[in-house]
Amino acid sequence: MYTEILTFGAAFLGSAVESVEALTIVLAVGLTRGWRAPLLGTAAALVALALLVLVFGQLIVARVPELTLKLIIGTLLILFGLRWLHKAVLRSAGTLSMHDEEKAYASTVNALEGSAARQDRDVVGFLLALKGVFLEGLEVVFIVIAVGGTGGRLGIAVAGGILAMLTVGAAGFAVRRPLARVPENTLKYAVGLILTSIGTFWAAEGMGVSWPLDFVSIAALIAMFFVASQIAIALIRRPAVA
Amino acid sequence: MKAIRAVVHEVVGLFVSDWTQTAVTVAIIAAAWILIPRFHYAAIAFALAAALAVQLIVATGAEARRGRAATRKHGE
Repeated sequence: MYTEILTFGAAFLGSAVESVEALTIVLAVGLTRGWRAPLLGTAAALVALALLVLVFGQLIVARVPELTLKLIIGTLLILFGLRWLHKAVLRSAGTLSMHDEEKAYASTVNALEGSAARQDRDVVGFLLALKGVFLEGLEVVFIVIAVGGTGGRLGIAVAGGILAMLTVGAAGFAVRRPLARVPENTLKYAVGLILTSIGTFWAAEGMGVSWPLDFVSIAALIAMFFVASQIAIALIRRPAVA
Repeated sequence: MKAIRAVVHEVVGLFVSDWTQTAVTVAIIAAAWILIPRFHYAAIAFALAAALAVQLIVATGAEARRGRAATRKHGE
C-alpha cells in the first residue's frame, strides 16, 4: 500500500507541475487567437503522449529483466531528480529567479500579438499548442513510465498522471488565467527529492542490494537528500568571505 | 528536421543540465555498480546516496559562484 501511494503521489505531483506549464501555453494561445486550433493541438499532443506511454511502457515492462530495468530506470531517475533538485536549490537560495507563470504567459501573448493575423485554419495556434503540450508532456511520460514501470505499477502511475492533468486543466479552464499561485518551486523541490530517492533505491536494488526495511528506506533517503539540499541552500546564501 | 532536433534536445535536457555534474553522477553510480555486486553491503548503497548528496552540494555551490562571478563581471 505504501509503495502504491508513493508511486501515485510522485506521478501526480510531477505531472501536475508540468501540466501547469503546458496549460500556460494553451491559455495564452487560446485567449489570443481563439480556442479551436490550440484545443486541437492539445488533443493531438495528448494522443501522441498516450501512444508513447502505451508503446514504451509496455515494451519496457514486458521485455527488460526486472533487475536491469531497476538499474536503468533508477539511474535515469537520479539524473532527472537531481536536475530538478539542483534548480530548486538555486531558486530557493535566490541564485535563479523563480519560474513565473504570469511572465511566461505575458511573453507568449506578446509574441503571438506580433504574429500573422488569425485565419480560419490557425496553423500557428495549432502548432504552438501541440509543441508546448508535447514537450512539457515528455517529462510527464518519463515520470509515469519511470515510477510505474518497475514492480508492475504502471496503471497506478498513469492514473496519477491523468488525474493531475485533468485537475490542472479544469482549474485553468475555470479561472481562464495561468495558475500563478501554484507553488511550483516547492512542488519541484518535493518531486525532485522523491524521484532522486526512488532512483537511488532502485538503482542500488538493480545492483543487488537488499535495503534494510525494504521500501521504508526511501524515507531515510528522502531525509538525506533534504538535509543535503538545505545545507546547499545555506552555503549559497552565506555571504562570501573577502 | 527542426522538430526532431527540438524533441531530441528536450529528451536529453530531461536528464542533463550540466554535463560535468551528469558525468560525476554517472561516475558515482558506476563506482557503486562495481563495488556492490562484490560486497553486497547495504552500507555501500547508503554511501552511494551520501556521495550523490555531496555532489549536489558541490555542484549547486559551484554554479552559484559562477553566477555571482558573471554578475560581477557584467557590473564592472
